[in-house]
Amino acid sequence: MTAMTGSPTRMSAPARLGLHALLIFFSTIMLAPFGVMLVVSLIPNSAFLARDFSPANFSLNNYWRTFEVVPFSRYYFNSIVVSVSVTTLQILISSLAAFAFARLRFRGREAIFLFYLATLMIPFPVTLIPNFLIIKNLGWYDTYPALIVPGLFSVFSTFLLRQYYRGIPLDFDEAARMDGASSLRIWWQIIMPLSGPVLATLAIFVFQGVWNDFLWPLVVTTSEQMRTIPVGLAAFVGQYATAWDLLMAGSVIALLPVLVIYVIGQKWFVQGIALSGIGGR
Amino acid sequence: MTPHTASRRPFRWRPDQQWEGYLFILPSFLGFLIFIVLAVVMSLGISFSEWGLTGFKGFAGLTNYQQLMRDPVFWQAFWNTAFYIVTIVPLQLALGLIMAVGLNQAIRGVTIYRLIYFMPVVTTIVAGAIVFRLLLATNGPVNSLLASIYGVAGIPFSAPNWLGSSDFSKWSVVILTLWKNTGFTMVVYLAALQGVPKELYDAAHTDGASAWQRFRHVTLPLISPTTFFLFIFQMIGAFQLFSEPFVMTRGGPANSSLSVVQYIYLAAFRDIRMDKAAAMAWVLFVFIFAFTLFQNWTQKRWVHYESD
Amino acid sequence: MQLKRTMGIGVLVLVMALILSACAGIAPQAAAPAGEPAAASETTTITWAFWGSPEEAASHKMVADAFMAEHPEIQIEIWNQPWDDYFTKIQALWASGDTKVIPDVAFLWPTPRYAAEGVLENLDPYIAASGYNLDDYWPGLLESAKYQGSVYGFPRDIEVNVIYYNKDMFDAAGVAYPSDDWTWDDFLAAAEKLTQKDANGVTTVYALAAEGGKWAKWVNQNGGAILDDYVNPSKCMLTDPASVAGIQFFADLMNQGYAMRPADLNQAGGDAAVFMSGQAAMILQNTSRVSAFNAAGMNYDVAPAPIPAGGKRWNGAGGAAWVMSSGSDNKDAAWTFIEWLQSTNGGEKIYTERGEIFPALQSVANSPAFMTDQPPANKQAIITEAAASDVGGFGYFPEWGELSGSIIDPGLERVWAGEVDAETALADICTQVDQFLADNGYPK
Repeated sequence: MTAMTGSPTRMSAPARLGLHALLIFFSTIMLAPFGVMLVVSLIPNSAFLARDFSPANFSLNNYWRTFEVVPFSRYYFNSIVVSVSVTTLQILISSLAAFAFARLRFRGREAIFLFYLATLMIPFPVTLIPNFLIIKNLGWYDTYPALIVPGLFSVFSTFLLRQYYRGIPLDFDEAARMDGASSLRIWWQIIMPLSGPVLATLAIFVFQGVWNDFLWPLVVTTSEQMRTIPVGLAAFVGQYATAWDLLMAGSVIALLPVLVIYVIGQKWFVQGIALSGIGGR
Repeated sequence: MTPHTASRRPFRWRPDQQWEGYLFILPSFLGFLIFIVLAVVMSLGISFSEWGLTGFKGFAGLTNYQQLMRDPVFWQAFWNTAFYIVTIVPLQLALGLIMAVGLNQAIRGVTIYRLIYFMPVVTTIVAGAIVFRLLLATNGPVNSLLASIYGVAGIPFSAPNWLGSSDFSKWSVVILTLWKNTGFTMVVYLAALQGVPKELYDAAHTDGASAWQRFRHVTLPLISPTTFFLFIFQMIGAFQLFSEPFVMTRGGPANSSLSVVQYIYLAAFRDIRMDKAAAMAWVLFVFIFAFTLFQNWTQKRWVHYESD
Repeated sequence: MQLKRTMGIGVLVLVMALILSACAGIAPQAAAPAGEPAAASETTTITWAFWGSPEEAASHKMVADAFMAEHPEIQIEIWNQPWDDYFTKIQALWASGDTKVIPDVAFLWPTPRYAAEGVLENLDPYIAASGYNLDDYWPGLLESAKYQGSVYGFPRDIEVNVIYYNKDMFDAAGVAYPSDDWTWDDFLAAAEKLTQKDANGVTTVYALAAEGGKWAKWVNQNGGAILDDYVNPSKCMLTDPASVAGIQFFADLMNQGYAMRPADLNQAGGDAAVFMSGQAAMILQNTSRVSAFNAAGMNYDVAPAPIPAGGKRWNGAGGAAWVMSSGSDNKDAAWTFIEWLQSTNGGEKIYTERGEIFPALQSVANSPAFMTDQPPANKQAIITEAAASDVGGFGYFPEWGELSGSIIDPGLERVWAGEVDAETALADICTQVDQFLADNGYPK
């Protein structure tokens, strides 16, 4: 990674040491909650409540119990289906619209785009209840479409991609059009390949947002078979008990895939942010 | 919202792209019309109606809004939210910038640090909030740590009740939010810093500018568009804070950490006052809109674009 | 050129069609697991909604099976949600107005709130037609399920709060076990001996762990009140000296380190957890804890709550109720089920035998279903408290949930946190309560 393009002069050894100390301090703060989560997920609730951290208490039992008590694999499956569908389709749909907003010249383009932007700041509670009623009327209650379709239309994604697409020289399109390429071909074969990093950024954003979403899946699903992981996590918090051990085990399970994807995709993530309009440049 | 619409060439409508343009935006526009525009219109209608579990009961005019203005709990939630904005936004910008500047140096391990700082961002907030409830318990690890630090310094220590006292509950929410979101700010800042041309530093260095002067007069102005973007982004986020107080403190004690969006949720689903909830959502929207306009207006004074 | 563009548009349409079909393609998958094997058409299927942990759900399942064995013509379909989500989701179902998804019979609290929304069926006609016996309920209990004088639900259980005490800890501290007529003074004397503090004066073992929500007991025992009228209130009564003293008694227990502050209790995992781990010698709680303590093999018993000198025994008469949706399309079957649930030998008996509840019906409480030889030994203490049930714990009007949830409980939380004294907090609360009542048009 060429992380130092804009960095000032090299630092002296003591300064470097001090900097590492500061960065490690921050790292500790960021990691400590994960450490606690992991430890509590590995010991029984009683041991945790008694603050008994003797090695004999540690086991993977909570994880097995988590899978026994609730159909976690089903929640898992749902979360994957929903997150992958929303991420892929939202990006395709947003990208098509962004391409038109950035590179096609049609009447009403600016007006429609402004209309989009105007809704960007609408807080989600404004649309929660009406959207539930809409889903009901479409007959989608407690189905995958209820979980997926409302998430496919993102003004933010469209805005982000449009900003990026505007940065690609229009000469590319002109040249391709000379060669007889259609707009759709330009979008798919020129613009999409050029926007790999920004798409990766967006994909990670959207994926983790959908994976962690709680309120919407809660409202539009009813059967146990349709619950996503966060909603399933809530099932642990019964009316009378606080099963910290299971909650933490469930949390670890819920976090793992997102963290893995992040670790794999982090290079594109940072590059993408640098290249896209998100950095305000 | 678009501070840098540096249009390259004058817009010219092209008839041959008319229908293509519409078709390209059609899937997006349909969903936009149904799930955003229609929903917003419905919500506005509900806010001016008497609306119960079974739906429309009658027109209410401004009654819901008037009730809201007289409701002390709404105002408490409002001031709590204001507190969240004025603490979370600057702290997050400052911490994120410090981290980013630290990571923008020629040192080893940048990738690992960055990986770690960003981890909370991808974490389920429910899980994060529950862990912080453990960490911030009166006899929890945070207080134990503070006690030993105070002990070493020889200062008497009375353990703060982070979650159970109205003096500290808001700070608990702030701490959780900072933990969760500072990594995002850091990544965006880091990207901006990496875009600052090295020649500018070299020039400043040759002129004998100190490290602080270089930061103050070269770096800060150059990344000010990023600061502006983050400022707006974080402010809107802080206005809409919900999950953090909802999961961690349930808004308590004594509504001391209740956020506006949380109160909207309670009004809609606990009190079955969809109408009041809708009215509240609209009041919130007006505030967000006004603040954003205001920021957009002030940005001329402190945001520097390269073309300037 | 023209052809290319036409093709482009064609491909675009194709992409959209693919997207749409992708969504549609997922739908049948969703329907498959939800769809029960189609039952024979001669049976009536009713949906039954309740909240609960997996363990509680197991009891509900047993009840449903027992009912279906007796009534093969009625099929029960279960709709279970965790407590945190239950109300959000059931409201969403009603809001949809779709009779196919609206539960026919539901477990609900508070009943008047939903009755006012028109989503509940008035049960008076069914009661009159079947001659169902309402006198078997504990005194005051049915009030919690009434709206405008009509019964809209049957409380399944009654929350009877008693003192659970850890015998081993009493023995170790040399404190006599509580008597059935102990007073606040007796309680304070015992609490002082049972509480253990470290060198800094920080409590390590508490005499009592009680949820903040139990405060109404102290107020009513002391002759205080929350409101002047619990159905049609005109003013807040919490500034009454007797009410203030009741709240201050609870607050002092915490301020002196005898009782765990509710926020700490919550963090420590709740009263059952601290009682079982020996962090608290007593808890004030309803009968829902019995099965857990018996399963853990604890050496404990129960006692009636202590009452102040010159005070009275009082237990809040309330409990979540079985209700029927007004949008139900199988009301007769729903009534058959509700009537069976709330009968001496029906659902009440099974829940009671399973140790899930203290029954709403006196006949079940006095039957072998409750009077077992399992601990706690002093079951009479529970009967004693139940017999003292009365209104006074909550309002029976639709806005009560909002009033208590937004104003009263949050206001008292500052007292439990030790930030203000009872008098200051209650004065503030009453100002807001009175304004709220006026704002909502009370008294009506």
